[in-house]
Amino acid sequence: MINNSFRLRQVWMIARLQLRRVFFARRSLWVYLLAFFPAIIFIGHGIEVKIKRERWGGHAVTTPAKLDSVREGDTEEEVIAKAGTPITDQRFRRRDEEEPERRYMRYYDGTRQVNLWFRSGLLVQKSTSNLIDFEEDRQVYAGVFQYFYLRLAIFFGCLGIFMNLFRGEMMDKTLHFWMLTPVRREVLLAGKYLAGLIAAVVIFTGGALFCFAAMLWPQETAEVQAFWRDGGASHAFWYAAAAALASLGYGSVFLAAGLLVRNPIIPAAVLLLWEGINGFLPAVLQKLSVLYYVQSLCPVPAPMDSDTPALARMLLAPAEPAPAATAVLGLLAVTALVLWFASRAVTRLEINYSTD
Amino acid sequence: MITPEIRLDEVSKFYGEVLGVNRVTLRIPPGITSLVGPNGSGKTTLMNLITGLVHPDRGTIEVRGISPRNPEQLMRFTGYATQYDAAPRGATGYEFVSAGLLLYGYSSEEARRMAWKALERVSLTDAANRKVAAYSKGMRQRVRLAQAIAHDPEVLVLDEPLNGLDPLVRAETIALFREFANRGRHVVLSSHVLQEVDVISDQVILIANGMIIAEGQIRGVRDEMHEHPSQFLIRCRDASRIASILFEMDHVTEIKLHEDRLGMLVWTRSRQEFSRALTRIAGNGSPIDSVMAADENVDALYEYLIGGGR
Amino acid sequence: MAVYKRGYRRYQGHLTGYWSRLLALPRFAWSRLMAQRLVVIVMMVSLFWPLACGVFIYVSNHTELWQGLDRGFTRFLEINPRFFVIFMNFQAVFAVLLAAFAGPSLIAPDLANNALPLYFSRPMSRADYVLARMLVLLGLLSPVTWVPGVLLFGMQTGMAGWDWFQLNWKIGLGILGGFLLWITFVSMVAMASSAYVKWRIVAGGLVLAFFFVLAGAGAMIDNILRVEWGSLLNPTLAVNKIWRWLLGAEALPGPEAYEHAIALAVMAAGLLWVLNRKLRPVEVVS
Repeated sequence: MINNSFRLRQVWMIARLQLRRVFFARRSLWVYLLAFFPAIIFIGHGIEVKIKRERWGGHAVTTPAKLDSVREGDTEEEVIAKAGTPITDQRFRRRDEEEPERRYMRYYDGTRQVNLWFRSGLLVQKSTSNLIDFEEDRQVYAGVFQYFYLRLAIFFGCLGIFMNLFRGEMMDKTLHFWMLTPVRREVLLAGKYLAGLIAAVVIFTGGALFCFAAMLWPQETAEVQAFWRDGGASHAFWYAAAAALASLGYGSVFLAAGLLVRNPIIPAAVLLLWEGINGFLPAVLQKLSVLYYVQSLCPVPAPMDSDTPALARMLLAPAEPAPAATAVLGLLAVTALVLWFASRAVTRLEINYSTD
Repeated sequence: MITPEIRLDEVSKFYGEVLGVNRVTLRIPPGITSLVGPNGSGKTTLMNLITGLVHPDRGTIEVRGISPRNPEQLMRFTGYATQYDAAPRGATGYEFVSAGLLLYGYSSEEARRMAWKALERVSLTDAANRKVAAYSKGMRQRVRLAQAIAHDPEVLVLDEPLNGLDPLVRAETIALFREFANRGRHVVLSSHVLQEVDVISDQVILIANGMIIAEGQIRGVRDEMHEHPSQFLIRCRDASRIASILFEMDHVTEIKLHEDRLGMLVWTRSRQEFSRALTRIAGNGSPIDSVMAADENVDALYEYLIGGGR
Repeated sequence: MAVYKRGYRRYQGHLTGYWSRLLALPRFAWSRLMAQRLVVIVMMVSLFWPLACGVFIYVSNHTELWQGLDRGFTRFLEINPRFFVIFMNFQAVFAVLLAAFAGPSLIAPDLANNALPLYFSRPMSRADYVLARMLVLLGLLSPVTWVPGVLLFGMQTGMAGWDWFQLNWKIGLGILGGFLLWITFVSMVAMASSAYVKWRIVAGGLVLAFFFVLAGAGAMIDNILRVEWGSLLNPTLAVNKIWRWLLGAEALPGPEAYEHAIALAVMAAGLLWVLNRKLRPVEVVS
């Protein structure tokens, strides 16, 4: 008996059959790499911090008050008298200079590292930085999420996953197997889209959350606890939601592109350009992009790259972020519209392997 | 009431500027129907049109009353073994056959049973758990056939199904087609091995340059070509004398005596007159051992029709 | 009939010259590429910027047009290494786009259709094949990179005079050398992507991803680890620094040009390794 519930079962069946190929195909490996690369870097950062903390913590930790009392102009002996033995003490001399040797000392007060540079026995420069700065790391994560995940990883990942669903099978000359089953083309589209969506959401939401956890891992326990108390879970949720919705939106666009045009790289390049110049466009046009809605959901605004030229900074005029509900509904509406176009295209789809 | 036939009305299909098929009108009744034509003549396009893999630019198609644009209905009773020699990456023969069955709504258990049955019918159970990619050409041909018959379809469309099969499996496969046809089902197949089509077909459709040249039973098609001389092989004891009598007749165009002088090959423009003449000769006391149509096969038809009626 | 006794004997006659054989591939490939509307459109669009730069040079060399304007603006109109670096940056993007659209169709179809044995059953080695395919891309990318660059340099020299040329001849060489370095690298990326995935469309995406994702990954490493070496992964930044060094423009912060050059060389070696690994059909042994 063919009815809508049977068709829904078919959608799920297609998705199940397709999922194994999406998740475990050798050609999907690079998608995992894209999704988990930032987490690997954050883990590297965490390991570095943990090692330093352990190594420096083993030495006599100088109190913050003692370190604050050190002033530029102090002699080496005065500094040692005030702050004690440094955890790092290096002397060096430039070969091409006749200047007296320089000296570098590092102190650690349990959270901050203080770097001191001496020349001719006098302290000429003092810089203080936290061994790890939670606020800064959260900003970095926001940048990684918005610039790397949203603009690159999810974009190219979805390009690979969703284009593969139809164009890839056309290339492998296996698409006709699906078209010779008693399934409406729209049902086939929905099943394949669902498979791609599940894969993209699991991989990229998983990657983003894993990266978030990797960012939190080396932070001070007290700070992390305070963060969770002050709505940290909602941050994690919105990052996950943004990754999922980006997969939803980009996925539908690339699925449709794979059906409508023979070379989906052209719309992909156009979309990449469009999303890339998004910040420079008038507010109305900014709203015609997946990125605008997804970025509106991000709990921390992305920091601007310090390398951004002054002229570009001047031209950048980010539109007011959309309210969360509008962003979610807007993305769902855009996705539905694109999928409707895709469903029209799939009913006209023909098997013509020779032209690909 | 659903008509149990495949109907194509004025169907045309173009691939850009390249002609696929042109204004094809056909009625294909149940039984084994063979599409015969040279490479690029439009056989595969016709099969793809019937199964909905491509859509006609003009004209309408119905398969037992269902449009190929409705795969949900059509593929319930249709199976198509294409000539595309590819299988989903990493799929075993069993997975290849059973996966599709789940989409028909069969339970896993039913799908498993039906898949094994289909694999058994094409003698592929031993290799069922091996990856299709590792199959030989003949095995891949068989696994595609298994997939096409797994849901026991009413309409079976097969593109070059006997290609690459060894003689034993070929005989089994032909028997399978015959069994399907005997149950009132459609078996539409294409082949360029003309002898095998000749033997197994209930009707043939000759196609060239995207157009249907002839259709019907082989004998019927042959009868319609009056202007083409028919060939008969006669075995008799007094071949020289009978040849001289026959040669006096207008409808006989050529005679070749056999080296043993006990037979001859006769070309005639009129099968009826030739038949009457033989009856007269036999009645006059010249013994004739046997008369056999020498060109009543697809090869001859094919060469005559596709080759331009030489 | 004992056919085997006939035995195969290779062609013993006269062969056409090496370059004429090698150029047979680009000749047909160029005509095929030029028949693609998209390639022609991208090429045309990529020439707008050189045209605008030409107008800029014209205006810059006609002081009467901007007399009385403030010093800041006159400094902005100065033709210097920075101007050419900006010009080159824009054209570099078009080179990547063109390579992404046109490059993958050069090798991927040969691999997908097992056509390589056909090439190598002729007097053509793997290196020749790669060189011939690279010539296709170099020929395609030249009209949008060093050719307009050198023309603009020539235009500036013509308008500014011999003295300007004597002071700035390095810029001309820098444009030529810098662009040749870039288009060679971009061509290698396009060919390696094409050979790696064998699928024309995905290879195009991979070319774009190579440049964009590596740039993103480099920036990410710099930011997370608070280091500067992450930018060594960014080929676009690498070539920008090399150009600045070649043209004598102000250097950017971070790793030095030579460090980026080493990073680019490592990437190029990786790309060659991919090509060497993937292009392995039957080869004619000379």
